Amino acid sequence: MQAVFHAHGVTKVYDMGEVQVHALRGVDIELFAGEMMVLLGPSGSGKSTLLNILGGLDRASGGHVFYRDFDLTTASDSQLTQYRRLHVGFVFQFYNLIPSLTALENVAAVTEIARDPMKPEEALDLVGLADRRHHFPSQLSGGQQQRVAIARAIAKRPTVLLCDEPTGALDSETGVLVLEAIDRVNRELGSATAVITHNADIAGMADRVVHMSNGNISHIDHNQKRKQPRELHW
Amino acid sequence: MTLSALNRKLFRDLWAVRGQVIAIALVLAGGIATYVMAASTLRAMRDTQTRMYREFRFPDLFASLKRAPLSLASRVRQLPGIIEVETRTAAPANISLAGFSQPVSGLIIGLPASGPILNLLHLHAGRLPDPNADHEAIVSDGFAQAHKLNPGFRLDVTIEGRRQTLTVVGIVSTPEFTYQIAPGSLVPDFTTYCILWMNAKPLQASFRMTGAFNQIAATVSPGFPFENLFAPLDSLLRPYGGLGAHARKEQVSHRFLTEEFKQLEMMATLFPAMFLSVAAFLLNVVVGRLMTTQRSQIATLKAFGYTTSAIAWHFLKFTLLIVAIGAVIGIAGGFQMGSGMARLYKDVYRFPYLEYGLDWRVTLFAFAISALAAMTGALFAVLKASAESPAVAMQPANPGHYRRAWLEFPGLSQPSRMILRNILRRPVKCSLSLAGIALSTAILVLGGFWIDAVDFMVFAQLRRAQTEDLAVTFFGPVSSRALYSLRSIPGVTLAEPSRTVSARIRFEHRSFRTGLQGLEPSATLRRLLDDRLQPFEVPSQGLLLTGHLATMLGAKPGDLITVELLEGSRAIRTLPLTATVNEYIGISAYMRRDALNRFLRESDVTTSANLRVDPNRLDSVYSRLRCIPAIAGIAVRSQALQSFYKTLAAQMLTFAFFNTILAGTIAVGVVYNTVRIALSERSRELASLRVLGYTRGEVAYILLGELALVVFSALPLGLWLGRQFSAYFASTAQTELFRIPVVVAPGTYAFSALVILLSTLLSAFIVGRQVNHLDLVEVLKARE
Repeated sequence: MQAVFHAHGVTKVYDMGEVQVHALRGVDIELFAGEMMVLLGPSGSGKSTLLNILGGLDRASGGHVFYRDFDLTTASDSQLTQYRRLHVGFVFQFYNLIPSLTALENVAAVTEIARDPMKPEEALDLVGLADRRHHFPSQLSGGQQQRVAIARAIAKRPTVLLCDEPTGALDSETGVLVLEAIDRVNRELGSATAVITHNADIAGMADRVVHMSNGNISHIDHNQKRKQPRELHW
Repeated sequence: MTLSALNRKLFRDLWAVRGQVIAIALVLAGGIATYVMAASTLRAMRDTQTRMYREFRFPDLFASLKRAPLSLASRVRQLPGIIEVETRTAAPANISLAGFSQPVSGLIIGLPASGPILNLLHLHAGRLPDPNADHEAIVSDGFAQAHKLNPGFRLDVTIEGRRQTLTVVGIVSTPEFTYQIAPGSLVPDFTTYCILWMNAKPLQASFRMTGAFNQIAATVSPGFPFENLFAPLDSLLRPYGGLGAHARKEQVSHRFLTEEFKQLEMMATLFPAMFLSVAAFLLNVVVGRLMTTQRSQIATLKAFGYTTSAIAWHFLKFTLLIVAIGAVIGIAGGFQMGSGMARLYKDVYRFPYLEYGLDWRVTLFAFAISALAAMTGALFAVLKASAESPAVAMQPANPGHYRRAWLEFPGLSQPSRMILRNILRRPVKCSLSLAGIALSTAILVLGGFWIDAVDFMVFAQLRRAQTEDLAVTFFGPVSSRALYSLRSIPGVTLAEPSRTVSARIRFEHRSFRTGLQGLEPSATLRRLLDDRLQPFEVPSQGLLLTGHLATMLGAKPGDLITVELLEGSRAIRTLPLTATVNEYIGISAYMRRDALNRFLRESDVTTSANLRVDPNRLDSVYSRLRCIPAIAGIAVRSQALQSFYKTLAAQMLTFAFFNTILAGTIAVGVVYNTVRIALSERSRELASLRVLGYTRGEVAYILLGELALVVFSALPLGLWLGRQFSAYFASTAQTELFRIPVVVAPGTYAFSALVILLSTLLSAFIVGRQVNHLDLVEVLKARE
């Protein structure tokens, strides 16, 4: 399988004046096309830092991160913007929808600047929100808002889909609906998907589960069979 | 002393939003400074006026006449209500100074042997004339200063053709001549107009007034209705050529001062009100935003047991600290500007003294009104936030409610849609920002308007209406044959006669005393202008009035006006008002000179002449004119123009400079705060878009596009509003002395718009840099 990302010896040090915080201490990792990876670990383990570096939001202090042949660690700011614009889909814990745009327009905000996107309607259909297209975020429930965020992330047909605690702000029933949407996108579009969670139960839906602690990968589990989100409980 | 935790938080909060704090404090300071400047100058001038009127025994009643025996004074003294009476002789004089070729005219006043009892003099240097000296004089301080004269200097003074040399022994000032304006001039010109005093006896001898007087002044017992004195006084003086008695309010210096006070009063109210309302609005927005970002902190504090009022007070202290910063800058700046302004005033109004100081009442009031304005602005936001229950406040805020904008059209990009919806979501806040920017644009237009208006007045009056090079006034009516001798002077290319007589113009129950001028029908040097500034011929019949006089009298063309001549025949006649004349300076009535002469039952006489002179022969013309005994005064138009500009230019440029800075402060304050708050409210949204792959430029477009839309909508509104303000100011400044035309030059509009655009660019630049530093990771982590 072709690696979408390969990262070697990635370190990240936050200089907080008198103290230095080592968020990542030399991480090596790969993410393959079409793969579903779950990053699991307690808060402060470095999983969000890693995701932010993979997503081009933050730069590594040391080591190298390649998206295919493109070295993210040496890329300029505008190169990183282009990279995010064309290749990466993001889903956040607090949805981060634009409150002044309807569901459909939130998706259109991304398709308007992407290369070869799907239609915004199509993306909303994929997450089961065809009938909520013209609702504003304030008129949607948390789960619905998160699914709009997923539609927005996948409408550009991203190579990678990065989800940071996508169910963190949701109850378990709604969380399952959101995970189903992510699962479906991963299977149907083949986007390499990384999901951050501190909820071990979610790990069942992944091909690979990366356990992180203290800025390092402690171990990696391979699931023989991915569970359906419906089968997950927490 | 240690600060409580809450107070420490206060200072840190202030520091965190220091950019906005400075912007608001500066707008507040602008309002306070204009108030302190205008109010303290006004107070200083009023106090000085009251004090000097008392100290220098400024009279309540004044009258001029042709010539009356000194014995008449005792009959005036017997009128009820009169306390003191002083008679004197005053004569127009032509003055020559060594080394100054231009004609200088003056008024020379006789000093009673026992010294004046009214209109006392303040001696700045030297001494009063020796009671037995015939050739000693004292001069007004403005003239002395303009020519750097010291006691000991000699002047050649010509009274009715008799020339004598006087030695200046002292330099004085007096409330009677705080405003020293030559008759027919626009503004004081200290180089060409002078007030002199000499002993009465030699003056009366040279003016052929021995044993007589031609001016009388009186004080009236406090509370006595002195209007009741006009009729008896006039009937006493009429046989002696009385020109009608008048009270202080018609005394020239007093009138100009009163007008100046009115302008200052307006400056002390209207401008600060504008600044303070903008500051109140800004504080409302900033404190409102602070309350939103600190919602959960407030809830936490309440959960710990802080009372609602303690929290409300905490945030009000935040507001008061900003007020304090603004007040200190404003009071200090206002005091500085005020003392500069007082100096400018002292150059124009020759007060014997002017004690300018910072009045504690002004300071206190400045602080109180700005605190009040700020509190009004902040109170609502504070009360709303501090009253929220802690449980509710600790929940994350829901996404804002939006709806489609009616302005949207298909094909609009999502960022453009965001701009429109954001504007329409908060129409009130957005309109207030718009109003603030429009207001500062309007203030700029207003600042430029003064200069445009003065330019236009000068153009209309001195380039279209009065195009003569020189105007000579005779001591009294002379045969118009005198014109021949004027025309024969080498260098004089044109001489046109005019006849002026004092008259009372009456319509219904309203009346006004002014000069009635008789003009030649085909005059080219002194022309009457219509509303479009086109000259028109004086009709052979009827009367013409300055538009403002017609309005004051309530008369319109076709009405029959009663004209009572106060000189010569003293005839009373009813004449039809044939047209009104467009004039910005002074108030006059006009008719054909031949008709006026018939009215006066006189032959072909004239009292003044307008001359056109070859500019290369001006000096020789001056010296020839000085030798003509019948000439009482010579006015030089270019000199009038120069002195007008010199006096006003310094004042207006200073005003325009401060005005631009103040308006720019408002513009930057409003624009910067608007866009800074938009950034803080929407940083999460903008960071999300950056994460989704929007470039910095695209994100800045959303933020600054909204601003641009507001600024571009505000600009035309502001320019229009500026014209309305100008029209309003012009209408309030409409006086008998001058009317200000509502003229705003295109350059003024352009300059105003440019200042606003530059202020916007400056604010956009500062905030744009902050967009570049949006922390994508942090913003996404934190929940709103």
